[in-house]
Amino acid sequence: MLKILIPTLFLLPTTWLTSSKWLWPTALTQSMLIALASLTWLNNSTDVGWATLNSYIATDPLSTPLLVLSCWLLPLMILASQNHLSSEPVNRQRMYITLLTTLQLFLILAFGATEMIMFYVMFEATLIPTLLVITRWGNQTERLNAGTYFLFYTLAGSLPLLVALLMLQNNAGTLSLLILPYTKPLLLTPFGSNIWWAACMIAFLVKMPLYGMHLWLPKAHVEAPVAGSMVLAAVLLKLGGYGMMRLMVMLEPLSKEMVYPFIVLALWGVIMTGSICLRQTDLKSLIAYSSVSHMGLVAGGILIQTPWGFTGALILMIAHGLASSALFCLANTNYERTHSRTMLLARGLQIALPLMTTWWFIASLANLALPPLPNLMGELMILTSLFNWSAWTLVLTGAGTLITAAYSLYMFLMSQRGPLPQHMLALPPSYTREHLLMALHLIPLLLIILKPALLWGWFA
Amino acid sequence: MNPFVLSILLLSLGLGTTLTFASSHWLLAWMGLEISTLAIIPLMAQHHHPRAVEATTKYFITQAAAAALILFASTTNAWITGQWDINFNLHAFPASLLTMALALKMGLAPVHFWLPEVLQGLDLTTGLILSTWQKLAPFILMCQIMPVNSSLITFLGIASTLVGGWGGLNQTQLRKILAYSSIAHLGWMVLVMQFNQQLALLALVIYIPMTFSTFMIFKTNSSTTMNTLAASWAKTPALTAITPLVLLSLGGLPPLSGFMPKWMILQELTKQDIPLTASVAALSALFSLYFYLRISYAMTLTISPNNLNATTPWRLQTTSSTLPLAISTTISAMLLPLAPATLALLSP
Repeated sequence: MLKILIPTLFLLPTTWLTSSKWLWPTALTQSMLIALASLTWLNNSTDVGWATLNSYIATDPLSTPLLVLSCWLLPLMILASQNHLSSEPVNRQRMYITLLTTLQLFLILAFGATEMIMFYVMFEATLIPTLLVITRWGNQTERLNAGTYFLFYTLAGSLPLLVALLMLQNNAGTLSLLILPYTKPLLLTPFGSNIWWAACMIAFLVKMPLYGMHLWLPKAHVEAPVAGSMVLAAVLLKLGGYGMMRLMVMLEPLSKEMVYPFIVLALWGVIMTGSICLRQTDLKSLIAYSSVSHMGLVAGGILIQTPWGFTGALILMIAHGLASSALFCLANTNYERTHSRTMLLARGLQIALPLMTTWWFIASLANLALPPLPNLMGELMILTSLFNWSAWTLVLTGAGTLITAAYSLYMFLMSQRGPLPQHMLALPPSYTREHLLMALHLIPLLLIILKPALLWGWFA
Repeated sequence: MNPFVLSILLLSLGLGTTLTFASSHWLLAWMGLEISTLAIIPLMAQHHHPRAVEATTKYFITQAAAAALILFASTTNAWITGQWDINFNLHAFPASLLTMALALKMGLAPVHFWLPEVLQGLDLTTGLILSTWQKLAPFILMCQIMPVNSSLITFLGIASTLVGGWGGLNQTQLRKILAYSSIAHLGWMVLVMQFNQQLALLALVIYIPMTFSTFMIFKTNSSTTMNTLAASWAKTPALTAITPLVLLSLGGLPPLSGFMPKWMILQELTKQDIPLTASVAALSALFSLYFYLRISYAMTLTISPNNLNATTPWRLQTTSSTLPLAISTTISAMLLPLAPATLALLSP
């Protein structure tokens, strides 16, 4: 674990000490080496599941894919931000990379934590760099509002979680993830235990975000610079899913009754946010709502608490992480050329940027879960486990899948096909940097098809 | 001010607080409180500005009222129980009276109304003394009379965290915001004081460097309103970049130092089986966080447009010492990993 953490920490001196000319290549190289080194975590051969164990941090099949994803994302964020930061003073560029690096540091510690409180502290710690990235480097004045929403939704959800965790600690004597499944459950009054259950879950459901608590997400996505959107969609939302899966084992007798309203909201959210996507004019907002819709499925899969549900949720989280991050990058390539997020202004780009269309095509297909991409595997497993619980959920999930396909195609056709509008003059061609960025998103996604067992979590 | 007079005043300020710390007799403790009140009054009025004189008068009247109440309560206690010892168990009635008097001295809600008004009239240095050093003596006395009426203490604590958050929301004056922030922090300390005085002390020990940094940052920028902070990036860019961390630490956001007392206090409250109080206190921190966030927005996260001349002051050499501010900002941002050591340092 320290083999990854220490090099990540040393990215900070790298960032501040390299000459401005070599700043981006050096930061990219070092973070890419870290990402490649983190792939060794996937080789987990222990029987108990826990590997690279020390007193505070460890990896297990549930956290490993998410850890690797967060390490993988840092070089991609650096690659994606290079162009839009090039007009800023070099110290601000360094500050930006520093913030992204600290974010990765907190994410590794959050996913690797073996203690719930450590996880909680790191879960909250990710807020600060993200907030600064959104509110300092966003483009419009609404970014301040978005930052406020982001901070306050998350904190209002998670402060009761802190109290709930402390209660659990006073009762069980420990919050270690290795021991907690074997402790006796927390005994409270019926009303008290319901509140306790809700306090444990709502923090993560806000972070996911569950439909009804999701208003912060489209705002944050729309206003954030590209790296902020990428990390938000790819990793930060997954903190919610990960935390829920970790806590579910402790909530056992309560969850059976308590999950119903939340499953209903999650599945209803899939339909609703999908429908919002269908009439969206803002490209980044569309991708953000599509994230809410996919995370609704993930929430459903986790709340149903079956092995298939958990596995499907984990697969979908990773696959959606890569696919939505890719889509945000593509949206940013458009934004850097037209300086607008409005889809109406950037149409027919296939004629102007033909190779980019290939990436749009693959990313849209990944978003709508085409076989044999891992997105489909995740969705199918969640759909199956939900269907097994109640056949009627198929109405919602089926309609949700259909709507997802519809808006993904709408996004692709709208942005790529048709004649090039008259105002699109002198577009810069797509850079090798952008192609590399897309390749680094989509090649892992395609390679996972060959060995999906890496993402099966506990039930591999 | 004449340096001899200033040194005498500062020494009496120290003497008063130390006298209160050291005394086990109510009269002596009262005397210490009075000495420190009287010593700060010339400091408060040193700029002969009507606003400063008004603030001084308000401060004098409230402190005198609180001191009179303390004198009355301790005399009543001596009358009922027959002794003047602070550490001896108090009778319930004078204990409640003393709690209220000390709350008035520190500026806890619902007897906090003087604090924002007084702080608004002072310069930032005197304001800093008022919101750190002047809290120590009543704080220690309050620790010593614990445990008293539990519901009164809980009420004072919760009311202060709520009022401290609520009051600051509508402010654009930095000194008033800092006054409300001080009320909210004292609320947290009082909330845990009846269960664990070390944790209350921890909260105070962490609060002092945080509020020191904040006052000093505002002093460096010589700003007293939120608008003037917008020019800060042109004067001290590095400090401007660090300020959100200090402010969010005051707001108690992990992984900054300000989270440590909040975390420990919440743990103690859940241990005492009052999770509802803990949740209310935790959520009330969000109110305070909102105005800290607003200051960060105004100062760091937006860049005000400026003419070319106004963007250059950062090139000038600063004359004041930057070391204290460097130390205190580091403490107020990075202390959380040292939480076990800090706790060990403060436990008896």
